[in-house]
Amino acid sequence: MAASRIDIVATRLIAGGAAMLASSVLADSGLEHYRGSFANPTMVLPLGSAALSIAVNARRSGKPESGGSEAPTISHVASTAVGLIGLGFHVYNVTKRPGGLTFTNLFYGAPVGAPASLVLSGMLGGIADRLSKGEEELGPIGLTSGRAVGGVVSVGILGTVGEAALLHFRGAYHDPFMWLPVTLPPIAAISLGRDVIEDTVRPATTVLLAATAVVGILGVGFHAYGVARNMGGFRNWRQNILAGPPIPAPPAFTGLAIAGLGALLLMKARR
Amino acid sequence: MADRFPDYDVLKKRDTPSWNDKTREAVEKRIATTESDTLTEPLRAVLRKLVDRIVPQPEQRAPVNAAAQVLEKIAANRGDGFRNARMPQVREAWERGLKAIDAEARERHGAGFAALNDASADDVIRALQNGDVKASEWQNLPVDLFWNDRLIPDIVSAYYAYPSAWSAMGFGGPASPRGYVRLQANRRDPWEAAERKDGHLIPAGERNLHAK
Amino acid sequence: MPSEFQAEPRAINGRAPDVFTPDGWVPMRGHADDKEVDFLIVGTGAGGGTLACKLAEAGFSVVAMDAGPYWRPLQDFASDETEQQKLYWTDERIVDGDNPITMGANNSGKSVGGSTVHFAMVSLRMRPEHFATRTKLGYGVDWPICWEEMWKYYDEVEKTLKIAGPVRYPWGPKRGRYPMRAHPMNAAAEYLARGAEALGIDWTETPIATLSAPHGKAHPCVYRGFCVTGCSTNAKQSVLVSWLPRALKAGAEIRDLSMVGRIETKNGRCTGVHYVREGEWRFQRARHVVVAGYAIETPRLLLNSASDAFPDGLANSSGLVGKNLMVQLNQAAWGQVADEVRSYKGPPSLAISEHWNYADMGKDYFGGWSYMSQGPLPISWAKTLAGGHGLWGQALIDEMARNNHSVGLKMVGEVLPDERNRVTLADETDQYGLRIPRITFSHSENDKAMMNHAVDFMDRSLAATGATERWKEMSDTCHLNGTARMGNDPATSVVDADCRSWDIPNLWVCDGSVFPTVGGVNPSLTIQAVACRTADRIKALAARGEL
Repeated sequence: MAASRIDIVATRLIAGGAAMLASSVLADSGLEHYRGSFANPTMVLPLGSAALSIAVNARRSGKPESGGSEAPTISHVASTAVGLIGLGFHVYNVTKRPGGLTFTNLFYGAPVGAPASLVLSGMLGGIADRLSKGEEELGPIGLTSGRAVGGVVSVGILGTVGEAALLHFRGAYHDPFMWLPVTLPPIAAISLGRDVIEDTVRPATTVLLAATAVVGILGVGFHAYGVARNMGGFRNWRQNILAGPPIPAPPAFTGLAIAGLGALLLMKARR
Repeated sequence: MADRFPDYDVLKKRDTPSWNDKTREAVEKRIATTESDTLTEPLRAVLRKLVDRIVPQPEQRAPVNAAAQVLEKIAANRGDGFRNARMPQVREAWERGLKAIDAEARERHGAGFAALNDASADDVIRALQNGDVKASEWQNLPVDLFWNDRLIPDIVSAYYAYPSAWSAMGFGGPASPRGYVRLQANRRDPWEAAERKDGHLIPAGERNLHAK
Repeated sequence: MPSEFQAEPRAINGRAPDVFTPDGWVPMRGHADDKEVDFLIVGTGAGGGTLACKLAEAGFSVVAMDAGPYWRPLQDFASDETEQQKLYWTDERIVDGDNPITMGANNSGKSVGGSTVHFAMVSLRMRPEHFATRTKLGYGVDWPICWEEMWKYYDEVEKTLKIAGPVRYPWGPKRGRYPMRAHPMNAAAEYLARGAEALGIDWTETPIATLSAPHGKAHPCVYRGFCVTGCSTNAKQSVLVSWLPRALKAGAEIRDLSMVGRIETKNGRCTGVHYVREGEWRFQRARHVVVAGYAIETPRLLLNSASDAFPDGLANSSGLVGKNLMVQLNQAAWGQVADEVRSYKGPPSLAISEHWNYADMGKDYFGGWSYMSQGPLPISWAKTLAGGHGLWGQALIDEMARNNHSVGLKMVGEVLPDERNRVTLADETDQYGLRIPRITFSHSENDKAMMNHAVDFMDRSLAATGATERWKEMSDTCHLNGTARMGNDPATSVVDADCRSWDIPNLWVCDGSVFPTVGGVNPSLTIQAVACRTADRIKALAARGEL
């Protein structure tokens, strides 16, 4: 079945979002696992699967209609699996520290939310994959309505907000802009969630998602500024890139929001 | 004992963000400190021998100028902010102390302290530490206070103010503006010392070449 | 050897050093010697610096003098124990008694900002009952201030210093959230935590006065570990970088390298102080004089200011000036572990247990104590091994080489007030021609019982974490308090609850000297809280025309 023009654009957006999310995961887990000295050999896995995920999603985004090989499926299943395993490791890393499940351990232990981004990237990539092949369902879940993607994005944004809220709390919200990612994206996520449930597309949702995408990009700038104002600035980059705010983390919002815009396109087309 | 931190040298970090200008200035001045001609040469010889036995030089590393630093402190008569009521000031205490150590050596081993072999010198030092002294020179210098307030703190402070002593103990050395990132047990930043036999695949010496 | 001290005053000619900018300056209001200022404060540490800020902000004219130099930490501080001796008060002081106190590095600062420039940043509140030990616990004396009021001022100080502390504090009444989150724990702190958990008591991340996030122009902590030799990044919230920039902004004048030698009195009131600056004795006129030189220099100045009208020294009708000197017990337990701990990383005391400040059962002594994880720097550790542990020769060198595997726990223990522990004047004089202090101290049986209990407990904690080759360091003290105690009765105290002397209405004392008791916590937070309260009281008294 030939996909419509809108479906093609939507697939581009969803795959592009997944690629952006995977990029954020690759850079962030690269830095964080380097900080963790790759103490556990499995700490290389998310790097590999995120890199693969970027490749296949970028390709899908560029050529939404190419069908074919099994490679993308393997990549998306791998991302999801590695993300889930990572989640387990990260929870273990936090709880084995003295005091167990305390704020300090959540602040400084392995971030529980991070591997979830890899899961999200795998799921979004998988959906884009199926859409491009013209498959309309994944098991019992209908895909072409866009509501499934919208749901994933909505939950994903809320999870990412949780992570940002925790880490910005660690930073004592010392800069008022630190409130931005914990105020605007949740509104976007809730608006998208409501659209998904009611199967309507409000213009506001599009605006909010676009704004969330922008927040993710702005975050890179803010975090870079945060690194620069640490002692020694970028001259002391070997410490400050690791100790300062994570520069690659905020684009996770951008990736999710872009995929969310793809979902909205599908939903609009089906109305 | 074999060096625990082979090829690790804090001075390799001199031109990295681990050292600020003030640190470079202070440490360079210290390294350049040579023995002043304060005290008489025989007393300086006693001090040299004493320093050598209290804090032996590191093997295969740059020698520490601890005696020169102690002499500098004696010359400046620089106190630490307190003086026991039964003790004279820094310069006077060291002068009396070194004379008394020399007398103690003659009393016990029939030769000046500087001329003693290592075992005999250590025997004299143990006597000081235990307060078990015979020479009459100790009558105007309480040996326990000299040991606790002058001899030990002055000598070990001088020795552990020197970079090669820091390297030998695997200390990170100066750290500003760059401090540390990895604070947990068994984790090191790439600019820290790697310890021999810490179970890592790459030998410590290899990693220490890049520790800067 | 430390390089030459800052020899020339920097805070002069209408400007003071900007601590946040290399070679930077900020404007400073100047006051002429012959013009009477509202408050002349002697000392700019935790007591004097805080008070200078608060009084200037209340609109009083303030000149605060310090014998030490005005540093710019970013450019003046090295990562070097020896060089940083320039922060310590190393002028000669005579010590005696059964247990003469080690002075200098450990407990005395000679810098603008006082010893907070090199303090370990541990910022603890005293337990409520410790403000009324006589009534509540049957020992010592009560403070003339109730704990609720002190805890209100703790809030203010913690907010100003941006204390980084745990989200939930395990002991005492509920407190508000610390302004910043706790720092990550280093391995040394984890050893305290694991030991406490094994022994079934609470522990927590130590609330400390170093930034865990940027604040103004100050950088967050980089975990360089040289905290007690001065912070070269301004993460440490010393008085130098917290209260004093505010004080300058509010119009206070800080006079560095100004040693006050004598307070002048006339008709029963202070008229100003004689001080030496740039080699010259001068006289600054003042309506009020506040002495804030810490527990040695404060009584020394009061005693050195004796005159025909006050032959025993100023504010000394009770005879208590210089008496009741209280250090705190600072014994430790040490051991070796298989892990690479590398305790030189991070602030030295990132974890704490205050269990024995709050538990009263199971003690055969009065008083409380806390204990903290440790991170001694090389010289400090070498002196510990050679002094307390008796090592020298190759044994010392070999043990030093195992430093990265050493762990330790150190107590801060309450010493009870005892009039025999005191500061008097020696006959010898210093470079200014002023009589130097003689510090007499002996441990009581109560001290010894507390030490034994504490080191045994800390040793058990280390044992529970698998530490071997354990040993106990039995001779160390920290902090200085007492010597001009506050109280409700002029016969048994030097100053009243407002820190105003009973004898001379325009003479005040505002530092650790006024503590009637010390509790088992580091005193800096409490000194600053007392200073904030004193400022509020001065404002209130001024409003009522009672100043």
